[in-house]
Amino acid sequence: MPRKTGQSRTRPSTSSRRRVFVTVTVLFAIVSVFVVKLVDIQVVRADALTADSVGNRSVGQTVYGSRGEIVDANGVVLAGTVMRYDITVSPKNSTTFTRANDSGETGPAGRDTVTVPEAAAELGAITGQTGAEIEAIIAGALDENPESDFAYLTRGVDVDALRAINELSIPWLYPRSNPSRVYPNGAVAGNMVGFVSSEGDAQAGLELGENSCLASVDGVETYEKGADGVRIPASSVTVEQAVDGGDIVTTIDSDLNWFVQQALAEQAQATGAAWGTVVVQEVKTGKLVAVADYPSVDPNNVGGSEADDRGSRAFTASFEPGSTFKALTAASVLDSGRATMATGVVAPYRYLPANGANITDSHAHGDDRLTMTGVLIDSSNTGMSKFGEMLTDEQRFDYMTKFGVGSATETGFPAEDPGILHAWQDWDNQTEYATMFGQGLTTTALQIASIYQTIANDGVRMPVQLVEGCRQADGTMTDRPDETGRQVLSATAAGDTSDVLEMVYENSWVHSQWQIPGYRVAAKTGTAQMPDGNGGYSSGYLVSVSGFAPADDPEYVVSVSLADPVNMNTSAAPAPIFQKVMSQVLKKYRAVPSGAPAPDLPATW
Amino acid sequence: MSLNVARTRPAYPVPAEPTPSAPDRRPLSLVAPAPQHRTRPRIAYAVVATAGVVAIVVAQLLLSVGISQGAYELSTLQSDQVELGRTTESVSEDLVRVSSPQSLAANAESLGMVSNSSPVYLRLSDGAVLGAPASATGSQAGAASLVPNSLLTDAAVLTQAQAASLSAAEGGAASIAVTPTQAVPIRNGLPSPTTR
Repeated sequence: MPRKTGQSRTRPSTSSRRRVFVTVTVLFAIVSVFVVKLVDIQVVRADALTADSVGNRSVGQTVYGSRGEIVDANGVVLAGTVMRYDITVSPKNSTTFTRANDSGETGPAGRDTVTVPEAAAELGAITGQTGAEIEAIIAGALDENPESDFAYLTRGVDVDALRAINELSIPWLYPRSNPSRVYPNGAVAGNMVGFVSSEGDAQAGLELGENSCLASVDGVETYEKGADGVRIPASSVTVEQAVDGGDIVTTIDSDLNWFVQQALAEQAQATGAAWGTVVVQEVKTGKLVAVADYPSVDPNNVGGSEADDRGSRAFTASFEPGSTFKALTAASVLDSGRATMATGVVAPYRYLPANGANITDSHAHGDDRLTMTGVLIDSSNTGMSKFGEMLTDEQRFDYMTKFGVGSATETGFPAEDPGILHAWQDWDNQTEYATMFGQGLTTTALQIASIYQTIANDGVRMPVQLVEGCRQADGTMTDRPDETGRQVLSATAAGDTSDVLEMVYENSWVHSQWQIPGYRVAAKTGTAQMPDGNGGYSSGYLVSVSGFAPADDPEYVVSVSLADPVNMNTSAAPAPIFQKVMSQVLKKYRAVPSGAPAPDLPATW
Repeated sequence: MSLNVARTRPAYPVPAEPTPSAPDRRPLSLVAPAPQHRTRPRIAYAVVATAGVVAIVVAQLLLSVGISQGAYELSTLQSDQVELGRTTESVSEDLVRVSSPQSLAANAESLGMVSNSSPVYLRLSDGAVLGAPASATGSQAGAASLVPNSLLTDAAVLTQAQAASLSAAEGGAASIAVTPTQAVPIRNGLPSPTTR
């Protein structure tokens, strides 16, 4: 509208102009306040406010990634993840409540009143606690903090118990999901598989050693939900995907491992042994098919075992191997060409070499004219010393190193013991000879098995393999271990050593204890004093048997060790275990019984 | 020449220059307002527009109701799925547990089975017996399991009496099932699957 000119008759007075001015100013001021506020809300704090509002309407939920399984060679689950539930309580809200009864009536008649002791008793019947224990937990939490809103009543109940608890309709109970580890086969391979803590942290064994493969990552899912708890359609959902862990595929056969553990435990208890191990290894591949420990640990109930028994001694306990080690010395001498199986030496009861060492045999005897075969059959320390002398210390040290003595095997097992093998320059006079018959150095049961595997496999040492690899969700196998063998001995020397060991098996004084009808077997016993932990020897012995079968085409190595069997302190203690385990292994893997008879080598000359 | 060029009429039309003192300026006059009856809106348009709006609102409403209904259904189905998943887990856990070697061995022994540790083979090609046959001397342990499994503490072991009643029940069912299959005649040796 065009403004009136100054000539207009309705010219406003001074006061009215002021009024207009004030009104406009106030209007502008109010509008500015709104504009500022608007910009503040819509622009400056927009993100924070949006997040707040979504936070009020939305709920976040942890999506649990599943920790990978540990399976045996046939896919049997040794360790798996299951959902368990922790039952938590809000102590401050733990009061008498009402719940619908079975009458089906509406109103007060259809509802029962339940007091806290009644509810606690009902709950205890499911969780295996007494009502008083549950009340004590609630009272304890309230004593500590009268406003306490959280306490664990019980942890790790299964689905059936959870459903029963939900049936009780106790309003102040809050179940929480808690992914847990379960070991369906119990103590079968338990020492090797290891276990995790109740918080899910890897603690021991493969669970710990292969944690990088097994571990999963939890995700989060956020969505908006209505007052009745139903998800609002098309509400903003943010998802952080959970990542499942990979599966560890081991080379173990769980059925065989059970049998071996059972046989070991039976004999270990009968002989009163402190502990024992059995290792079963495939000759041609170096794969471990069974590793048994006694006492064994049930990973479902770790607290039921002594702390010292929770690891796997086959991997972590090294000991002086004793006479089973003579096979290595004999193989080294044969490989170097300094002697043959028929080479004879005179083995006295006591041998005093020029360097001042003092070697005796375990039992008194005259000067025996023994071949190498005879030395091993009689397990003569003095005879073995005379063969060992044919090599320099350095040569013998090199052979030992090539056989894997003094370094941890390739299994990657956590806390694996490499054993003790001092450099040859550091050997004193006695050690120089002691190392020929398995004293003055230590090995694990695994390393001994590996030595026999090398002899059985035409002198080719295969890496000791416990894990096939990490199987990812898409089925690909990663982290495969190296499977290339290394020639340690000539095939001839290995074959000759095998023949000698077969003679040992045939002519040993424990032959009736370890005889396996129909098969040719090569084996050697060992009896070694055990250290007392203070630099000396205790009165206990570590008795062992190592060998392989069928000797004409070796397929499996079995190595048995028993520590301090107080009721039977000789290698007659482990021999029956060797017999049982080797029979089972040959039967299980359908090894064809040997056709040709064993070679007959002279033991004397 | 230059004059001629200048006077030549250009080939394109040149707007006539407005003469500063144009005498024929038209007088301004008010545009006569349109007749009233032409501006009256047709009722049909209003009906169509309103109906359209109503239709959209109703459609929107139905869609929302449908989606919400779907949300509830989804929610129910999802909780069903969770419950069924839990059942699956629980049942397969039981299965794995009873398939453990300890459970199998305990059941086998309670049924009177013994394990024979001396392996013997019969070679089909020439009927040769490989190995040294010997009768089973006894069960694996003949004693309690020495390899603990705390998951099995409450698991029941199948007894011979139960097994007998079970196999009797199965035998009855099997005989019904087996009878008709015996009617199939075998002509050329054992039937074998053909693969192409």
